[in-house]
Amino acid sequence: MNTVVPGSDQPFSGLDDAPVEATVLRMMLGGQLRRLREAAGITPERAGFEIRASRSKISRLETGRVKLKPRDVTDLLTLYGVTDESVRAKFQSLVRQSNTPDWWSKYSDVLPGWFEMYLGLETVASTIRSFEIQFVHGLFQTEDYARTVTRLGRKTAPADEIEARVRLRLSRQALHARQKPPRIWSVMDEAVLRRPVGGAAVMRGQLRHLLEAAKMPHVTLQVIPFSRGRHAAESGSFTVLRFEERDLPDVVYLEQLTGAIYLDQRSDVEQYLEVVDELSGEALTPAATTRFIEQVAKEI
Amino acid sequence: MSGTEFDTSVAHQARMYDYLLGGKDNYAADRAAIEAQLEIYPDLAFAALANRAFLGRAVRYLAGGAGIRQFLDIGTGIPTAGNTHQVAQDIAPESRVVYVDYDPIVLAHARALLVSHEAGATDYIDADLRDTGTILAQASELLDFSEPVAVTLVAILHAIPDSDDPHGKVARLMDAVPPGSYLAISHMGTGLLDRETQHGLESHSDRMMQQRLTARSREQVAGFFEGMDLVPPGVVRVDEWRQESGAGGAGNSALWGAVGRKR
Repeated sequence: MNTVVPGSDQPFSGLDDAPVEATVLRMMLGGQLRRLREAAGITPERAGFEIRASRSKISRLETGRVKLKPRDVTDLLTLYGVTDESVRAKFQSLVRQSNTPDWWSKYSDVLPGWFEMYLGLETVASTIRSFEIQFVHGLFQTEDYARTVTRLGRKTAPADEIEARVRLRLSRQALHARQKPPRIWSVMDEAVLRRPVGGAAVMRGQLRHLLEAAKMPHVTLQVIPFSRGRHAAESGSFTVLRFEERDLPDVVYLEQLTGAIYLDQRSDVEQYLEVVDELSGEALTPAATTRFIEQVAKEI
Repeated sequence: MSGTEFDTSVAHQARMYDYLLGGKDNYAADRAAIEAQLEIYPDLAFAALANRAFLGRAVRYLAGGAGIRQFLDIGTGIPTAGNTHQVAQDIAPESRVVYVDYDPIVLAHARALLVSHEAGATDYIDADLRDTGTILAQASELLDFSEPVAVTLVAILHAIPDSDDPHGKVARLMDAVPPGSYLAISHMGTGLLDRETQHGLESHSDRMMQQRLTARSREQVAGFFEGMDLVPPGVVRVDEWRQESGAGGAGNSALWGAVGRKR
């Protein structure tokens, strides 16, 4: 009997079956390289030196944040004492797969590098949990709402750039129509519903859209009304992305004005998980949330 | 009616179980408790899987041959694969399932993840097993108590000490459902482990977990089915209960499992 023992992992476990999205593949290959490096007792500095790069480059590479170069992988495998030709060949074939272009590459003009990573993670996540204090989550925004929010941040941007950004945001929503969409569980503060983004008509349309979204089986929406003041998020908005693969840790995404922070150290991630767990317990149930949104829509 | 404060610094049964089953909804204290328990009792991971598999076989039996279409699942735990409504609705999509848990966070997960097939229905009750009045009153909003109901108490009764009269609570639940209803139980057992292991596990759970666990004997577990007919093979180790051919286990689950039918 094969019992599943937590923490056990096989090289390339889960990689042999279905085709995997490039981003996940990078994360898994990175994780595998990290384990090989640690097993060989080699520091990130030393590994970085070997491939003419810094310690932080090794860290980004091992967490799947950057594309892998075949030559770097070859050098690292040699440094880590991996001589088995079949393993090396398998690595290289997966590296090639992991470098195929992503769906958002056509938006590269308007896409900052720090957000590209998020798109990769969002595209392959099996569960997306978020807490929103200001705006509706991008996956649930209407076109009008998205356009208003985009303009707010970029008052001087030309119209075609705004439109490209809006199209990018709406393209993300294609995941709702997938055969097996991710589970999306979004907790939002009442302020998200009340802030009149774009005026009454835009907001009414947005709230109707939320009510429709809440009917989708893969979507769970919960609101924390102002009356429940004890809520746990001093943190501001954040998103926790979870992946089907057992080896991949959850990633917390924190967006800032000019960049983003990605956390995947377990000790960091668990503090956010704890907050989002507690918020979900404190928020209105999904059924009560629907009634609440209907009420707010009437009051606009 | 919530029975617990959300405290991730102390190991919690639902999250420990999640970890053993390969889930990611657990915290450092839960994993530390499991690692320590695995030292004492290496078959623990087998036991968790065997318990989950028992739930699956029991619900398949109930929704299948027994023709049950209403389920009251008390002690839901953190959702994983093969939850009660999924197993039941695979066989009979119109099945209705009420989930009960006393932990508001566990229940929030259940509401988000245990989404019914559109032909059937699921509902969620925030209540402690000891509060049978609340459970029965709220469950009657979705379940029709003039028709048979299957009550499932999987790996939960051992969290109820004798002083809280677990046999009385179960009797109260079964009194509320009509003849032809079923009861399914899995329960941490005595007489299944050597004394040293048993003692080690109990003292560990006393020190490290939010829940105090009480293992019970085969006779005590049979006592929950007073006045009912046990479905063969009766009270056995969960991994032995109507084991499907070829799926024999190679561990000691240390849990008793049984299903009974109300006369």
